[in-house]
Amino acid sequence: MSSVDLTIRIAGENGEGVLTVGDVLAEALARLGLDIYTFKNLPAEIKGGASMTQVRVMDTEVRSPGDALDILMVWNQENYDIHVGEVKPTGAVIYDPDECTVDDSLPLMQIGIPLQKITKEIIKVMKSKNVLAFGILTSCIGIPFETCKDMVTQSRWGRRKEFLESNINALKHAYDYVAEQGIDLGLRVPVDRKKDHPQLIVTGNDALCMGSIAAGCRYYAGYPITPASDIMETLAKAMPKIDGVLIQTEDEIAAITSAIGASFTGAKAMTATAGPGFSLMVEALGLAMMEEIPVVVINVQRGGPSTGLPTKTEQSDLNLAIYGAHGDAPRIVIAPTNAEDCFYTAVQAFNLAEKYQVPVILLSDQHLAARTQGIPRPDLSKLEIIERRQPTSDDGVTPQEFNRYEMTEDYISPMPLPGKHTYHYVATGLEHDEHAHIDYSPEAHLQMTEKRFKKIEPAAEEHDMVRRYGPEDAQLGLIGWGSSEGPILEALERAEAKGYKVAALIFKLINPLPEKEARAFIDSIPVVSVVELNTSGQFANFLQSRLCVPLKRFNIYTGLPFKAGDIEQYIEGVLQHG
Amino acid sequence: MVEAVTASTPKETVKRTQKNYRSEVKPTWCPGCGDFGVLSALQRSFAERNLAPKDIVIVSGIGCSGRLPEFVNAYGLHVVHGRALPTAQGVKAANPELTVVAVGGDGDGFAIGGGHVPHAVRRNQDITYVLMDNQVYGLTKGQPSPTTPTGMAALQRSASMPKMAPYEGVLEGQLNMLAMILVYGCTFVARTFSSQATEMSKLIGQGLDHRGFSFIQAMSPCPTFYNTYDPWKESFVSLPEDWNDSDRIKAIDLAMEEVNDGVFHSGLFYQEQRATYMDKVRSVFSKARGDQVATIESMLDQYA
Repeated sequence: MSSVDLTIRIAGENGEGVLTVGDVLAEALARLGLDIYTFKNLPAEIKGGASMTQVRVMDTEVRSPGDALDILMVWNQENYDIHVGEVKPTGAVIYDPDECTVDDSLPLMQIGIPLQKITKEIIKVMKSKNVLAFGILTSCIGIPFETCKDMVTQSRWGRRKEFLESNINALKHAYDYVAEQGIDLGLRVPVDRKKDHPQLIVTGNDALCMGSIAAGCRYYAGYPITPASDIMETLAKAMPKIDGVLIQTEDEIAAITSAIGASFTGAKAMTATAGPGFSLMVEALGLAMMEEIPVVVINVQRGGPSTGLPTKTEQSDLNLAIYGAHGDAPRIVIAPTNAEDCFYTAVQAFNLAEKYQVPVILLSDQHLAARTQGIPRPDLSKLEIIERRQPTSDDGVTPQEFNRYEMTEDYISPMPLPGKHTYHYVATGLEHDEHAHIDYSPEAHLQMTEKRFKKIEPAAEEHDMVRRYGPEDAQLGLIGWGSSEGPILEALERAEAKGYKVAALIFKLINPLPEKEARAFIDSIPVVSVVELNTSGQFANFLQSRLCVPLKRFNIYTGLPFKAGDIEQYIEGVLQHG
Repeated sequence: MVEAVTASTPKETVKRTQKNYRSEVKPTWCPGCGDFGVLSALQRSFAERNLAPKDIVIVSGIGCSGRLPEFVNAYGLHVVHGRALPTAQGVKAANPELTVVAVGGDGDGFAIGGGHVPHAVRRNQDITYVLMDNQVYGLTKGQPSPTTPTGMAALQRSASMPKMAPYEGVLEGQLNMLAMILVYGCTFVARTFSSQATEMSKLIGQGLDHRGFSFIQAMSPCPTFYNTYDPWKESFVSLPEDWNDSDRIKAIDLAMEEVNDGVFHSGLFYQEQRATYMDKVRSVFSKARGDQVATIESMLDQYA
């Protein structure tokens, strides 16, 4: 059990800097060796609207954003009214009395601190209000002043040298204020915990970028879209340092086709987008499948359809990822489960793409993308990096004899590269024969369709693609995929503590479906339910179409991530009432 | 990645002829198709430069002209409709040592793919784009294209078939692709006619030699669905001998005016030297990393 479990939320007007307060707070806690889980919920506009950021801190792995709040800091009335209902009875609210009137009838500790007034009259630099707020919070939960001073200096606040003095002054004033007023929330974090391994503090999108680079990605093409843009921004800084090319294209169609062109020459190539952009890419996905050109496409899912909820989360692009593209178009679909897993899943995505010469779609989501997590620093020497199969120099055949789409035993054919191999060929989206010549005959279409399907089948057996948790003799089994793993596991623990036997099967690989594991799980447990953040049960439908078994479903479609409590309640409901 | 992958290539001693660039696939075009002339001119310009087939990538979209890579003894990438240009840019960016040629038709390039043209021009990658303009959709049997003259109703394949242009003729205006591409800022703009083999291969060759994005409008009649051989032979005139190919405004004026005069000028309208996209990328590289490529560990350090 964790000795500490605090959920802290900061809420204010979008654009005021609340998100930065949350980011730096999360980083400070992570640097103390604690485990963090952040959650941001913001509007799609640049300025205005209610915006909030939340950090949950524990000294064991944090698996979900936290069900209710221990500390709520609000900067104005609107945000007080929105969030106060989520504060635990034992929790505390910190508010600005000049901006906000609180409901005294609530049985909560509610502390008024005039943030705006102090900043104006004492600090005298309005930019430093965020640091004042940060200092109030860190002081209240017992983080030493020196630790926070380092954070303020090293964080994005420290980059603006002209504000450094007033920022440090604000931090100092916050600590003095809390001490003078004798504020004690009774909520403190341990500050003497040291991790036994080096840590990185990353968001899901950061980890995807680093994993891609580690896997050998040296070509990125993309078009700006929330919540995937920061992948392009991060790689734009990183790529030139490693001789990688990054192009911001005119649209998503250009992004994916240029990535396909780059990969045709042997570069490991990627694009990242969200639902609307992914919709534009599906025709070219089919092309890459037909021409057997590796390419990685990250789709950071957001709420849909259409423009939908650009800054909210959902797992609703699964159908498009599995089926998007006309014709019988097999591809690999993979989903990371948390920020650490984003790093390794990006590596896996490139490995699978190169190995099977196929597009790999990596399904992240807005919540995971923006989530900050302290992760063990990856040991690069232990990473297995797979390169695509290429012709060997002593094949002893002429270009005319060489078969680009040779029917090998494993259906994967050596791929010659322009500039490198003399086995030039024309990759075409038209049906073709082994030699890559256009061929519409029934024999060619049969042979090549089978090749394209069969070559990716072994991917279902790849390592760490399905994870099973919980007792063998479970009463209830939950199936999840991607980023819902954490909340499902936390709900499992809570159910176990209450005496329920619940198991979980989490899929990282969606397609080709690891059917054996799915069937074994479903056959061995009396009731199985598929837990997803979408309305129609897209993964449940996929499983049912493959396995022909009845499955229950638990779906949330609010644009918000799962809370462990949501799933815990569902478990109790099913086990008590069927 | 930007470094050449040709390190292991032995010094070229082979002298290639046009024949060396012919693939074993016989062209599927209709007899008399202008695209034969373009294919042959392209192969000839490859031979004149003795380019190794393994170092050439021809990228095409969809349409009759999109089949061209199949007929050339070189690498080819036949992609989806309208996307030859972004694909070709990916090829070039990933391996700048390759000779990259994009080919396609008027529909592929200026209807479905029209949004890519200005951006290909903006990036000025060292790519040669040969656009075979027959002013009609041939592969889908005779529908009007963005360059079909307004009011044209002659797209009637036979007396028994309906006119393919809706109503009595094309209602939309005709795109002036030469004027467009000049206004976009293209660094090499030429026009040629498939019946003028020598000039065509010369201009395509100049396009290959040009460092930057070169655009060659190859007027290439479709004898099956919109036979323009006779009128075009009449209306094609060479650019004046004293034509100044470094005056963009004059070139734009000519491209606008010639439409009213009912003539096509052939020749090199405009060219200039400007840094290519990859020139700029290389300079970004050297600024970003100095002499040494960064390690992945150092990338991770920023999150430590």
